[in-house]
Amino acid sequence: MKKYYFDNCKTTQPAPEVIEAMLPYLKDKFIFPANFVLGGSEAAYELEGFKKIIADSIGAKAEEIHFTASGTLANNIAIKGFLSENAKHGTHIILSVIDYPDLLTNAAFFEKSGFEITYLQTDDQGFIDLEQLKDSLRSDTIMFLTTFVNHTVGSIQPIKKIREILDSADHKIVMHVDAGQAYGKLPIDVNELGIDLMSFSAHKIHGPQGVGALFQRKGVVLGSVIHGINRLDNHQTGAVSMANIAGFAKAVEFTFADFENNVNHLRELSNYLLQKIENTIPYTLLNGPRGAGRAPHNVNISFDFIEGEAIMLMLDIAGISVATSSACASEGLKANYILMAMGRNHEQSHSSMKFTLSRYNTKEEIDYTVEKLAEIVQELRRRSPLYKEEK
Amino acid sequence: MQYSQKVLDHFMKPHNVGKIENPDAEATEGSPACGDQVSIQMKVNPETQVIEDIKFQSYGCASNIATGSIITDMAKGKTIIEAKEISWKQAAEELDGLPPVKIHCSVLAVDTLRKAIKDYEVKHNLAEVEKFNKDTIVEELKKVIYPQVGEDIVTLKMVKYAGFEEGVAVIDLEIPKFDKYRENIAEEIREHLEQYKEIKEVKITM
Repeated sequence: MKKYYFDNCKTTQPAPEVIEAMLPYLKDKFIFPANFVLGGSEAAYELEGFKKIIADSIGAKAEEIHFTASGTLANNIAIKGFLSENAKHGTHIILSVIDYPDLLTNAAFFEKSGFEITYLQTDDQGFIDLEQLKDSLRSDTIMFLTTFVNHTVGSIQPIKKIREILDSADHKIVMHVDAGQAYGKLPIDVNELGIDLMSFSAHKIHGPQGVGALFQRKGVVLGSVIHGINRLDNHQTGAVSMANIAGFAKAVEFTFADFENNVNHLRELSNYLLQKIENTIPYTLLNGPRGAGRAPHNVNISFDFIEGEAIMLMLDIAGISVATSSACASEGLKANYILMAMGRNHEQSHSSMKFTLSRYNTKEEIDYTVEKLAEIVQELRRRSPLYKEEK
Repeated sequence: MQYSQKVLDHFMKPHNVGKIENPDAEATEGSPACGDQVSIQMKVNPETQVIEDIKFQSYGCASNIATGSIITDMAKGKTIIEAKEISWKQAAEELDGLPPVKIHCSVLAVDTLRKAIKDYEVKHNLAEVEKFNKDTIVEELKKVIYPQVGEDIVTLKMVKYAGFEEGVAVIDLEIPKFDKYRENIAEEIREHLEQYKEIKEVKITM
């Protein structure tokens, strides 16, 4: 059965050229970077090349890029590293209630050890409250955390405006950005946007799983979080996979080789999907903004009167992979915290489905998917006590 | 975690879905806020008290739909006395098991069936509307399933205290501080207790 994959927010299919680029490092080129020996020097040289490819894609310098084992590790190294090293300058940090779990759980960790946290609220579209941000700045605020593209509803936070607000303080406030869903989907120039620390990972852009990157602006000091031997990176000590890094660099190369085309393709597909759903299926509700404020690959939509896990499972049986924010499908059986913070009710949260697209999706796949989706929604509504035919 | 083939079969092609015109009895349990709701309607033969027709509707996940399907299959053709005895464990067994985190669906389906039977009994003067008392609280707590293991919180001795005074139900639970189901259990307890008009407030301590 043909598979239709629309869960690219979670992970993407590795590109064939990525796998090709990794293979030599899984075979003969297994030697770690080292001085004086031939193989080691070659590896060190290549590692620098990979760093440069990734640095160039965000307007950074090669020495500002650190390889980590995942985006989550990059977030931990950035947040824990910065706060542990800089607590003497202040113990107040700001983030929002809709941030990625990595940021929220790290903030909660520091809250327990005496830091004060301000949680910004969101509007009904998934944009954080900038007025509240202005009012929250304090003389002891040292760090601001944000999720560039919201992982659930695709809202793009206005990083440049945020930087301006942070700069209105009379001291430096370091901004850490989780760019997991933004990298490869939006143009990012860390200098233009005034980003100090940024995490992203390979497997969201058709690279391998198990490798991420941390951008650390020169001058921003991080304490050590993971202690051990320095093989490839002083922050992520221990052995980081050269094959994964090579695959990451290849994914970056081809993502940015035709960046505009790819983004336009994603935007066109997601508009097509959204329109098709809205024209075919009654009683739906888009979660997150419409238009330019939304990431090009994300469509999150609620279907009234029915529940998301049931929709997801029926789509899965038809070969279609999507995600749901239903509590039934969640780890702690909880309503989705982002949708609830945006003012959605429980039913809207439980019935929300998230389609995230990639360069490999086509209009034909979307046609098939919406056809199946319409049948499934109709059938589940027939079974639902909340649905009244005459509505 | 996976559903059994039988759960998937009943989910994809559920039996007895829909409504009955002029039902003899009906009940709706659960709430959309908690992500699941089941309605059951039935026709009962007044002579034999056999459930001759039964239909359900479900707002909920796959296991919710599957348990609605199996419970109506099991109840059909039984007398109301027999149908009352169907337990959530039997319903889950009929489906070749449910993941622990989904056991509450089975509890909800059985509860709805029993409420529908109660509705019939009250309408036909076979039983009285149940009076609320302290035991009611414990009975309701027995319907709250700890999703980690698929057993109710009373059996698991997670309820340290359950009391009722002047409209306030006081529940003291023993749940590890970082348990991911803490909020979910508290929410379920509230859902079960707040349906009683006698209870003005539910106080839960953990």
